[in-house]
Amino acid sequence: MNGLPEMRGEASAQWYPLGTGAHDEMLHDDGKVRPHWEYMIRALRTLGMEELERRGAEAAKLLRENGVSYNVYGDPAGQTRPWQLDPVPLLVSSEEWGLIESGLQERAELLNLILADIYGPRELIRKGLLPIELIYNHGGFLRACDQIALRGKHQLVIYAADLARGPDERMWVIGDRTQAPSGAGYALENRVAMTRVLPSLFRDSHVHRLALFFQSLRASLNAIAPPGAEKPRVVVLTPGPLNETFFEHAYLASYLGYSLVQGDDLTVRDGYLWLKSLGGLERVDVVLRRVDDDFCDPLELREDSQLGVPGLLEVVRRGNVAIANPLGSSVLENPGLMAFLPGIAEHFLGRPLRLPSAATWWCGQPKELDYVLTNLERLVIKPIHRSANTRPIFGHLLSQQELADWRDRIRAHPAFYVGQEQEEFSTVPSLAPGGLEPRHAVLRSFLVARADGYVVMPGGLTRSAPQKGDILVSNQTGSISKDTWVLASEPEKPVNLVMKPSPEQVAASLSGALPSRAAGNLFWVGRYAERAEGTIRLLRSTIRKLYGDPDRSSSEYASLYCLLRAVTQLTGTQPGFLGEDTALLREPEPELLSVAFDATRVGSLTNTLRCLVQAGYAVRDLWSSDTWRVMDELEGYLFSTRHLTSPPLGQVLDIMDQLITTLSAFSGLIMESMMRGNGWLFLDMGRRLERSSLQLSLLQATLTRQQPEAMETLLIEALLDTSDNLISYRQHYRNNMEVTAFLELLLLDENNPRSLSYQTARLQEYANRLPRENTGDRRLSLEQRLALDAATTLRLSSLDDLSAITGAGVRQNLDQLLSHLSQQLGLMSDAITAAYFRHESAPQPLASHRKV
Amino acid sequence: MRYRVIHKTEYVYSEFVGLSYNEARLLPRNTGTQHCQRTQLQIEPLPTDYREREDFFGNRVAYFSLREPHQRFVVTASSEVEIMPQGRQLNLSCGTDWEAVQLSLHQAHDPQTLDARQYALSSPFVAANTELANYAQTSFPPGRPLLEAVHDLMGRIHRDFTYDPGFTDLATPLATVLAHRRGVCQDFAHLAIGCLRAQGLAARYVSGYLETLPPPGAAKLVGADASHAWFSVYIPELGWVDFDPTNNQIPVDQHIVVAWGRDYGDVTPLKGVIFGGGEHELIVSVDVQNLGY
Repeated sequence: MNGLPEMRGEASAQWYPLGTGAHDEMLHDDGKVRPHWEYMIRALRTLGMEELERRGAEAAKLLRENGVSYNVYGDPAGQTRPWQLDPVPLLVSSEEWGLIESGLQERAELLNLILADIYGPRELIRKGLLPIELIYNHGGFLRACDQIALRGKHQLVIYAADLARGPDERMWVIGDRTQAPSGAGYALENRVAMTRVLPSLFRDSHVHRLALFFQSLRASLNAIAPPGAEKPRVVVLTPGPLNETFFEHAYLASYLGYSLVQGDDLTVRDGYLWLKSLGGLERVDVVLRRVDDDFCDPLELREDSQLGVPGLLEVVRRGNVAIANPLGSSVLENPGLMAFLPGIAEHFLGRPLRLPSAATWWCGQPKELDYVLTNLERLVIKPIHRSANTRPIFGHLLSQQELADWRDRIRAHPAFYVGQEQEEFSTVPSLAPGGLEPRHAVLRSFLVARADGYVVMPGGLTRSAPQKGDILVSNQTGSISKDTWVLASEPEKPVNLVMKPSPEQVAASLSGALPSRAAGNLFWVGRYAERAEGTIRLLRSTIRKLYGDPDRSSSEYASLYCLLRAVTQLTGTQPGFLGEDTALLREPEPELLSVAFDATRVGSLTNTLRCLVQAGYAVRDLWSSDTWRVMDELEGYLFSTRHLTSPPLGQVLDIMDQLITTLSAFSGLIMESMMRGNGWLFLDMGRRLERSSLQLSLLQATLTRQQPEAMETLLIEALLDTSDNLISYRQHYRNNMEVTAFLELLLLDENNPRSLSYQTARLQEYANRLPRENTGDRRLSLEQRLALDAATTLRLSSLDDLSAITGAGVRQNLDQLLSHLSQQLGLMSDAITAAYFRHESAPQPLASHRKV
Repeated sequence: MRYRVIHKTEYVYSEFVGLSYNEARLLPRNTGTQHCQRTQLQIEPLPTDYREREDFFGNRVAYFSLREPHQRFVVTASSEVEIMPQGRQLNLSCGTDWEAVQLSLHQAHDPQTLDARQYALSSPFVAANTELANYAQTSFPPGRPLLEAVHDLMGRIHRDFTYDPGFTDLATPLATVLAHRRGVCQDFAHLAIGCLRAQGLAARYVSGYLETLPPPGAAKLVGADASHAWFSVYIPELGWVDFDPTNNQIPVDQHIVVAWGRDYGDVTPLKGVIFGGGEHELIVSVDVQNLGY
């Protein structure tokens, strides 16, 4: 068979061409399969190449549906990039893992001591073990954080190391991540996907499980909470949906059962940190931080930051909140440190480190500077402080001129740079078209501090180069991830990956610890979903009438004008069919297609769906996986229709049918599987308000003026179709299309879930259930009064009055009622927004006075 | 000499500010020659949270937050400071030459030198570069005593640069100041610090007040005095020595120190983040009163 070996007899070169000169994880240099890979190779062979590819595709689909993505900065499409997973895992034998694990624990302990020293006594600097220029020149050294310590002996709570196997066959540490390491959530998602697509291989390989690591993480976060917080409230602080790893922030928050918050969900008051939730302010004890440390407090750190919380550092200083990792911990993300670790290890531990680091020369010292300048063409140049626009520079890729420029740059600020040996690291078997091929890879390992030492995730996130021969592996430049299987000598007792939330968490999620921003997003999810559905239904009924290509001069066709104008009115895409240009009414196709597919047009279907997906993504942590899959289908729709310009009407109808089904699935899942907490309340309130508003503008555009009877009949039929009420109407009223009956069904029938009175009844009920601050105030709130007014006005109105023509061919009573309701419900939406959602202005720095 | 300083900062906002978080470095620190006898902040509206601490550089910082909606925010720092007469007589033409100072600064490991060394590094407002090194060069011929070199540099800055409050603002980069030879005390201090750092020497930024003497016979105007800034250079045998390039003088007993740091950014007198407020207007007044001995 193609691509996979017979275990014996067949020369490996034929199915797995090495030849890069580097070591390979699967094969010895002589081409023999390493023992811990034998079972895997045999299993893959039994499975067959085609099947393996199929499983890979299945895993990709699973990950996509779960919304696993990685945002690439500067990507013109502004799209999230789906996460790529190679179904062939990296295997690590149990003996070797033992060495790696203890080596990582030792390194983490050492870095922890260094961190505590840098923000504490600074003995390492005084003793000459760390040059002051290496630390004080580093952007991560935050002077405002001096002498602040977490309680307990660990300052470095979470640590990640990038590992690769060097030419000496040992594992090397090639990078340290100490401020907000990303990747643990992706590792977990990869594992979930792998156990789904290769269940028996996974089971029989005796792979170490990951779940215990996350339990340690949770315990560790609880342990750093300020004293007195018995059931600490932990939040995950994210920069927001535009961040490259937002998916992971949302995923971890929901997996660990914590609230996902952005800076302005939090506020500092009286020396404590608070979450602005619907129920009022809730004390926060621990912050799991994914915002870079200098962005966390615009008062004491970067004043231009909009991602932080002013005053946060002062709360930390007083010991009233714990942040993991502590602010200032990015000072350890400094490749120059690697040159000094051996000496510091001797000092603190009395022995050399078990895992070597990449050979590093810090240019802040004369001899090292000379060495780097002389050997630049074979070294990697790195700045000591990584930022968004710095990248490692590979000496061997530079021209003579570029080398000279770099020498000047380094000479001007030697302390800012290091040179590192460029090693060729080992390759891992990777799935390529037609077979396996060796590609360079890096393994990111994760550790979390417990009182008795660091716990290492048995596994990690392996990232391999996108092509054979590529040496740079980074998510920003494109890499393919792999699951990492640490093989146990014996089968492990399975631990369920799904963590049960504690009773307190369940209680918290029900009692309204919902950040008010999240409530706002849910409200808009409800509105956009409903708006999309309403738009589709109306477009569909309209297009159906056009589909048979009716005679455009007939009087029957003129009944369509009313519908076309309703399209413009309902979608708010004026002027459209309401404009001067009446030719548009006779040739409406281009305008209709634009209202459907023009993403740049506010109010178009595509635009509304995009808003829906964005609002949904911002509260990614609140959706069940099934619900998210439906969101993903919508995103898929947006992607596949992005170039659609003038599809035939038949195809448009098919797309609309498909979308209606998807949106109905979304509504259905929300009805059936979302907890009836505050989140659901706001979502459904958004939906009811939007449905009312659509209904009102539709009726206003069509029935407030009298039409010839024949035309009215056609119109009513179309409107019933639009509101999905045609069948109910026929059951009640037969085929007699008549305004009074129609208004009864659509306005006043409280048993009809699409009637207006049904919406107002729900809104009235919800307004009574909205969380209110416990002030003892027993008067009705503004939104309660508005809902009550709308529901009552509707209930008291008389059907005969409404359908009566009151001169000049106008149904004045109907018109008045519709206008009044529109106004009241609009006010209600505003009142809810003002009372419950983010509405304060963004913080601004005070202008400073200058000295003269 | 004793002084009473009243430094009043007032913000007037076009819209209400609902929340305000602030940090003030307005309480004078003690130094080897200065003793702050009493100092306090008066804040309107009353803060809901107030705490003092020492920062990384040993300056006194007051953190406070306001929650009462307001359109006017006033911070008044009132201090009484005693300045001891300098015991030492500076002889400019003797002392260690600047190259030896530079060498010992980067080789010695005693705590004092280590502490000074941080001020030889670039900082956010003052990064050493070749332009600054070139400007400094004529003051630093080989073998010249450091004290004399710095004194010469100060004199040149005073001569070469025009005091022009309208030309620069807080965001004006040092390169612009150097190119146009204009600025205010803050720019001149930064410039001198940059020149010294470009020579591998340690220099820091000092913020404070200067007693301005009234013309003979005239009464001193209240509020005419300004908040001021100068620089200080590290000389191993003398410690830190202050220089005021705006007035071309070595401070004796008329300079009242509030705080020091690597540059202005470390010692901003009043920082804040506010919610709301719209446009704001800022009025600052400083009154330095000589209380005699």
